[in-house]
Amino acid sequence: MSAIDLALVCTFLPLGTALLLLVLPGLRRAGKTAGAISVAAASVALGAALLLFMRALQSPMLERVTMQWLPHAPPGAVDAAQSTIQLGVHLDGLSVSMLVVVCVVALCVQIFSLGYMASEPPADFGRYFMWQSLFLFAMNTLVIAPNLLQLFIGWELVGLVSYLLIGYYWQKPSAARAALKAFWMTKLADMGLVAGLVVLFKHTGGFEWTVHTEVAGTVTLLLFFAVMGKSAQFPLHVWLPDAMEGPTPVSALLHAATMVAAGVFLVARAHPLFEQAPSTQLVMAYVGAFTALFAACIAVVQNDIKKVLAYSTCSQLGYMVCALGSGSQVAGFFHLTTHAFFKALLFLAAGGLIHAVHSNDLRDMGGLFSRMKLTASAFIIGALALCGVPGFSGFFSKDLILEEVFARGLYAPFAALLLAAFLTAFYMGRVILLALFGKPSSHAEHAHESGVSMTLPLILLALPALGAGYFGTTLSGLYAEPVHFHTSAVGMLATALGLCGLGTAYFMFGAPQGGAALRAAFAPIGRLAASGLVDRAFLAVYRHGLRAFASAIGWFDRYIIDGLINALGYGTLEAGARLRPLQTGKLQDYVYAMAIATLALGTAAVFLR
Amino acid sequence: MDLSAYLLLSAALFSLGLFGVLTRRNAVSVLASIELMANAANLNLAAFARFRGEATGQVFALFSTAITVAEVVVGLSLVILLYRSRGNVLLENASELKG
Repeated sequence: MSAIDLALVCTFLPLGTALLLLVLPGLRRAGKTAGAISVAAASVALGAALLLFMRALQSPMLERVTMQWLPHAPPGAVDAAQSTIQLGVHLDGLSVSMLVVVCVVALCVQIFSLGYMASEPPADFGRYFMWQSLFLFAMNTLVIAPNLLQLFIGWELVGLVSYLLIGYYWQKPSAARAALKAFWMTKLADMGLVAGLVVLFKHTGGFEWTVHTEVAGTVTLLLFFAVMGKSAQFPLHVWLPDAMEGPTPVSALLHAATMVAAGVFLVARAHPLFEQAPSTQLVMAYVGAFTALFAACIAVVQNDIKKVLAYSTCSQLGYMVCALGSGSQVAGFFHLTTHAFFKALLFLAAGGLIHAVHSNDLRDMGGLFSRMKLTASAFIIGALALCGVPGFSGFFSKDLILEEVFARGLYAPFAALLLAAFLTAFYMGRVILLALFGKPSSHAEHAHESGVSMTLPLILLALPALGAGYFGTTLSGLYAEPVHFHTSAVGMLATALGLCGLGTAYFMFGAPQGGAALRAAFAPIGRLAASGLVDRAFLAVYRHGLRAFASAIGWFDRYIIDGLINALGYGTLEAGARLRPLQTGKLQDYVYAMAIATLALGTAAVFLR
Repeated sequence: MDLSAYLLLSAALFSLGLFGVLTRRNAVSVLASIELMANAANLNLAAFARFRGEATGQVFALFSTAITVAEVVVGLSLVILLYRSRGNVLLENASELKG
């Protein structure tokens, strides 16, 4: 099979599964069968992606096949039949490695879901897997896009599936609200993508990311707005913590590993465009660094294990955006890869813990390590990778980001990222100590290890979470931006801060006595986070700002537009009333007028010729 | 005889007719005045025909007379209807088209 065929299998097999489950309700309601079909499709997709990856490793890959979608001849085109509105497949190092990441995580999550969702009614179970398959199709459409237009199609599709899956427990009002909130926030941001595409199309006549254009600054800024929504950057991050209302495997796949990384992928993909806009990159670096620090601060005080991980995802996405803002495509994308593995692992392991104690709350856990060794070990591996402990995958990618940001002289973002690294280690240490060690709560007493369908994916994901870091050089080789990994002062500083964070966490939450003063120091952050300042700001903007805007527009419509129409109608009525007396109804008046008019016209014809 | 004498007579007839139409209150008198105006026009036609030595104008005058007769028939029947509905034929009373 050719590389293109493999990519098509990767993309359309999941679509076929989703359509099959859509048009055959009997199959969907069968539940387990639907899940098995979906997992089988995801396995084949992963196989195809891995084959592609092997080929890309052997020789640099650049394959591209496009077909005309809509007829549109670009201005000055030699061949008028060659439209610039195309769909197709674009395979290079970036898209192939992203395909592998997406397929690996998707397969692990689907297998995990077989166990995690087992107690759901069969019809809902089938519906869940239909959407999982649809997601894999949508994400792969985005990844293999040969231009920004197809990327946009995939982008909207994953947004839709995200909405559907967050609202999976639609009977719960909070889940329904969270789904709507995610939808609206990301749609708001997607307006940027639409506007960016329109500007790009107007100036270049196409949707290519390789063009050189003088409007790159505007286009990239608009694209970055969409990235802020999708990748949950401050201040558009508010939907991501709420998205945790969805089932935990969904959080692992969509809201940690792949979909939220689509924004980062977009920037990496459109790197040639972003390189032409240094000011956009600067904005990205600062927004990313601020988000990394801000979200890490909030994560410190969350008591819901999924919320901690959600804010951690925000924070890590901030790292990636900052890296891309510093101009280093490899650093950002490498961190995307390792983060996808270890964060999916963390979420799935957290799902296992939640499944065991039937609660998201850290205070309902405790002492789980001795009861569920495998799940707890997987969680610890993921956490250590996230903290950047040497040898784990996160260590390599995070250090690369810090070095790149430092090397390009972005000292303020660099400092923010360093502080975020400390906080990351601190909050992960806190979660480990509270959930896995210490005194078990009443819920945790009877916890026991989950079944094989929920532990196998953990093992599968723990391997890349441990080892993906060693492939950094390989990965950078795939898209011709060589990176040298070496020990540096920056790296050692970051690692030392990370270890400090873990130590502080131990001092505060692990040691029998102590840390009361430190805990008190964090109390203000807790209060601030609990008050939901950003949420309220959005509420204020939406409720008051939009309402004022709407009432202004309403006033304009009611009094200016309607006023014009009414004035016209009233004027006509009034004019009619004034002209009425002319019609006397008396025959002789009319004859008189006729005679006078004829005389006047005759006179005019004679004298005014 | 000179053409202008006929034209002057015709203009005088027309003016008399117009005056009658504008001033008479009785619908029958107005109809009669309209006849005067029509005949002024017929006189013009006949005078020009005679002056130019052609028959066309006289033919037109004959047609015009026929049409005028038809018009008077319609007009008089309207007057009769008017009389039946109101008991008089005063024009100022028939002003239903008043705006």
